[in-house]
Parts: sequence; C-alpha cells; structure tokens
Amino acid sequence: MSAGKILVVDDDPQIRRVMKATLVGHGYEVIEARTGEDALEKFPQEMPALVLLDMNMPGMGGLETCRSIRSGSDIPVIILSVRNTEKDKVAALDAGADDYVTKPFGIEELLARIRAAMRRSPSSSEGGPRGYTAADLEIDFDTRKVHANGKDVRLTPKEFETLRYLVAHTGRPVTHRELLQAVWGPDYGDEPEYLRVFVNQLRKKIEANPGKPKYILTEPWVGYRFAG
Amino acid sequence: MPRLKLSRFLISVLAVAAILALYRLVLPVNNTTVALSLLLVVLGVSARWGLAEATVASIVAVLGLNYYFLEPVGTFTIDDPQNWVALVAFLVTAVTASQLAERVRRRAAEAEERRLEIERLYELVQAMMLSGSARRTIREFVQRVVQVFGCEAAAFYYRPGEEFFRSGPESNPVTDHDLLAAAEVDELSVDAPRMRATAPVRLGGHPLGAMALVGPLPSDQTLRAIVNLIAITIQKARAIEDASHAEAARQSEVLKSALLDSLAHDIKTPLTSIKAAVTSLLGTAAGTDRELLTIINEEADRLNQLAAEVIAMARVEAGKLHLEKLPVPAAELIEAALADLAGVRRGRPVTIQVAPDLPRVECDPELAQHVVKQLVENAFKYSPEASPLTISAARKGEKIVIGVADRGAGIDDDERAHIFDKFFRGRRYRFETKGTGMGLAIAKGIVEAHGEKIWVESEPGQGSAFYFSLPAARGGER
Repeated sequence: MSAGKILVVDDDPQIRRVMKATLVGHGYEVIEARTGEDALEKFPQEMPALVLLDMNMPGMGGLETCRSIRSGSDIPVIILSVRNTEKDKVAALDAGADDYVTKPFGIEELLARIRAAMRRSPSSSEGGPRGYTAADLEIDFDTRKVHANGKDVRLTPKEFETLRYLVAHTGRPVTHRELLQAVWGPDYGDEPEYLRVFVNQLRKKIEANPGKPKYILTEPWVGYRFAG
Repeated sequence: MPRLKLSRFLISVLAVAAILALYRLVLPVNNTTVALSLLLVVLGVSARWGLAEATVASIVAVLGLNYYFLEPVGTFTIDDPQNWVALVAFLVTAVTASQLAERVRRRAAEAEERRLEIERLYELVQAMMLSGSARRTIREFVQRVVQVFGCEAAAFYYRPGEEFFRSGPESNPVTDHDLLAAAEVDELSVDAPRMRATAPVRLGGHPLGAMALVGPLPSDQTLRAIVNLIAITIQKARAIEDASHAEAARQSEVLKSALLDSLAHDIKTPLTSIKAAVTSLLGTAAGTDRELLTIINEEADRLNQLAAEVIAMARVEAGKLHLEKLPVPAAELIEAALADLAGVRRGRPVTIQVAPDLPRVECDPELAQHVVKQLVENAFKYSPEASPLTISAARKGEKIVIGVADRGAGIDDDERAHIFDKFFRGRRYRFETKGTGMGLAIAKGIVEAHGEKIWVESEPGQGSAFYFSLPAARGGER
C-alpha cells in the first residue's frame, strides 16, 4: 500500500529522476510528466493524490496548468519554482496552488509540505474542521470554545473566523487577499494592514509567546500559515 | 526662336493690312469703323503675343489709316485737326491696351510658374517618404530635388553627422568648404550669374547643416520652401530615429532581464537535483558518509547563494531593479529578515529598538528586507560568536533610518571607504570567512534605487554600525 500517488511535472529530466527515487524511497508512487500538457493528459487516467508542479516550463507553464487542474479537481498542488519573490508566490497561490516551495530545497522540507498538503485531503475540508487539539491549544469549532495555555480564551467573531479559516488550511500559506475575502467578504482584499492588527490580537490570545508565534506564522509579504 | 518671333510680327502686320484692304477695296465704311476694327486687331495681337508685336501692329495701323482713309487720302499728311485727335487716341488706346494685356499675360505666366513650382515641391514631399533615418532622407533629397526641379546638381552638409551628400555630375561644383560656410550664415544666398544657391538649414534655431543647388534655379520663395521642407523632414526622421533607439535600448534591457532570469533558472535547476539528492541521502547516512554529504549539501547552498548574488548584482548594475513600493512597518522588515536568518543566528542575543509610533517606510518590502538581512548576516559573520547585536529604526526628519550595530572589531579607516565596493573584502576576513564581496554592493544598489543612502560608522575596537535611510510614508502613522 503506497502512501499516495504523486504526479511530478518538470521539464528537467534530472529533477524528475531525483524526485522519483526519493519519493519512491518514502513510500509514494510516482508518475512523471514532462510538460503541463502532458500532465493534464495523464491526470484523469492516473488520478494522483497530489501534484508537484514546476512553475517555469516550456508550453503552457505551471500557473496555467495549475488553473486547468483546479477547474476540474481540488487535489493538492504544490508549485516548485526557482523564483522566490512575493509576486511569484502570490501568483502561484492565486492560481489555486496549495503551497509553494522554492528551488533548490531540502528533501525533508518538501516531504513535510507534501504530508501537510495530503492531510488536508479535499473531502475532509468540506464544511471545515470540527476542532483542533494540541498540548497548549484546543479549539472546538462547534461550540466556538478556545482553550490556550491553560486558560479559556474569548475571541471576537472575526478573530474566530480568521482562526477557523487558517486551521482549515493548516500548513498552507493563505494570502492576505484570500483571508480577507474569506472572513470579511468579497469587497475586501487590499488591506493587509487590517489583517495585521487582527492577527496580532489573535496571537496575543492563543500564542504562549506572541513575539515568536508557534501556530500562526507570518509568510513575509504573502500572508499567514497555520502550523499544525 | 527668332524665326518664330519674326513670323509673329509678319502675321500681325498682315492682319492689319488685311483689314485695311478689306475696308479700302471691298467694304466701304466710315473711318471710325476702320479705326475700331484695327484696334480690335491690335488688342488681339497684344493679348496673344505681347507688347512688341502689338506696338508694331499699331504703328502700321496708324500709318495705314492715315494713308488710305484720312483726308487727304494717299498721303501721310492730315488736314482735319479732328482726325489728328482720332489718330492719337487710336495710338494711345492701342499701346495702353496692349500693355495691360501684356501685364495680365505675364501675371498668368508667373502664376503658372508658381503653380508648377508648388507642384514640384509637393512631388518632392511625396518623394521623401519618411524613412526613419536622417541620412537616408538626405540622400534621397539630394537625388530627388535635382530631378524634380530640373537643376544640375545638389549638395547637403549634415551637421549632426558631419557628413556631405551630393548628387549631379561627378565634379559637383559645390565644395565642402562652400557648404560649411553656408551653414554659418543666416540667409539664403543666390549667385545668379553662376546659377547656384546656398542656404543654411535649421529648424527653430537648431542647426542641421546647409544645402546648395546648382543649375536653373526655382524662385527664391520656392528655394526657401525647399529649405524649410528638408529641415522639417530631417527633424522628423531624427525624432523617429531617436524613438526607435529608445525602443531598441528598452528591448535590450528586457532581453538582459530575460537572460538573467534564464541564467538563474539554468544554474538553480541542477542545484535542485543535487540538493534534493544529497538531503535525501543525509536522512539515512551516518559517520564519514554523513560528514561528506553534509559538505556537499553546504556547498550546494553556497553555490545557490553565489548564483543568487551574481544575478542580484547584475540586476543592480543593469539598473534593472523593479521597485514595488508599499508603506510597511520597519519592525516587520526587521522581523522578516531575522526570520530568514534563523538558521545562522545560533542563539545570538539581538536587541530590536523601534519607536512604537514610528511612521511606516515607503519601500519595496522584499528588497528592503534583503538589505536588513544582509547587514544582520554580516554582523553575525564578522563579530564574535556570542556578542550582542542591536537593530534599530528611528525617524530623522522625513526619513526612517534603520541601523545594525555589532560589537565586533570595527573597520579600519582605510577599509571603510571601500566597504561598499563590489568584490571588496576586509583584509582580516579575506581568507577566513566565506563571502563573495557582493553583499554590501548589492545592498547599496538596492538603497540607491530607492534614492536613499547607506553608510557605516565604526570605531576600531568598539564595533561597527551600518545605517541606511528610507523615506517615511506620508500620513502613514501606524
């Protein structure tokens, strides 16, 4: 029983070789595609559990491929790219990617991202999580109770929704725009300052050390990520 | 030509003679009718041919009228004073009318000539279709102006290019010297006997050179029109040239940027395979293997860093830094930089001093964060391992100054002047500490792209403090 089927899409044969060897070594089944077009062709036949997608490929490119996959499926997609600017990351996340990893990367980091993305399997995110439990943080989304660092914590409705959205996408960077639109509504999106204030409040309430957050991490200039 | 002229005189005289004969021999009428008929003939001659023919015709008519019709007939004498008046009136009328007719004719001829010249100017304009190159325009001009205006030769001195262009016979009679001299004067000058005209060519006081035409010349007015026409055409061609140069320069910048991107891609792609492979092996390796694989891993990181720096340096030098400015809190820049450096910090004590009411800074956050990161990373590298670091942000007028101070050895005076130079490395560290000597040069490039300054204050033995300024965001209190 494999840990899951991963579609590796990259135009560089050496990268596909390394990925195949490593991922197979960690119990995954690997299918390869050379281009975006190739990937879209294989996708319906193979039904992978996750796609690792190179951003810069000849032909339709990673972003376009990601959008095409997203139009028919919500399986996890991780975009890999040599570019690491905020603009590229936001573009990838906006195209529907679950995560973004900058090349070159250590394999442990990639495996961690793959595991995080797979945990949020598409079926379980339906209707959001019921709760979250860790040693110093307990969240019950049904009763809207939060217990952090041995105390009950009162959250405002917006703080609570922000936390719920982040937890529902645990491990994935959520862009400022996405979070604002999910919690405040579709008219918002260009006020990251607004969010900053809320997130700082939220951290003061649930983090043991708000200056060095353990749960709500900042993705500089991109957004936030809930580390579960 | 003289024969034609002679036949005109002959015909004029014959016409007068015919009238005289008609009335004398066939149709007896009174003298007034004869005189009026003759006047019509004279007017006809003057309208058709000109004053000279008409004058000859009118003299013959007067003599004939006198001889054959005025009493006493058959002599050139006149008895009746009334007839004298009639004769003089006839002569004056004939000559005056002829003169008027001649003037109208000449005007018409002149107008026709102007019309022709304008037509030719128009032809010249059409011939000089904008080529987008001043040189090609001038080359075309000197050829076409000769064809269109029927001159023998043309010459042009193009001042911005210090070039001479000629058309016509091999031995063009206009020397370079003539053209250079013409460029210095203010007005068109026409040398009628030698059949040549020279004129300076300028547009709005902006000198473009001089031109010369040799051979049958059009009128002065047309010459001036030609000079203006060529000036405007050259100026237009130059404008197009400039625009296409700017476009070419822009495209070469775009190309450079695309090359840098593809270079980054090409270097990082093999590094990705190496790094993924080696970190995968590191997961299970032990002992010597682990040590060796760790070295490969670290060196892969170093190569990656080097590639990133080379590309950043190239971007800075190509002026290709694209700033996307936003108002951001200085504290966020500092925190993001420290988060990036978590791997190399190794428990180093860092104090952050940021005034709580500090306005935000107007900058490209990623690039500004890179500068902070570079300064902090340098401080980590070049000061003793457990020594503390202070990162500060403070307002100075319209600016926010961000500083990174260490308790290291400080920087000697002579080295301080070069510390932001590309590839410069302090002599103490040249061989001991890893580095490319590009970090501070890149930081300086980024700060200068924001129109701001970066500097260092240092006391040998006391430590160093690097500062850079960024504009405070307007109305951006936190």
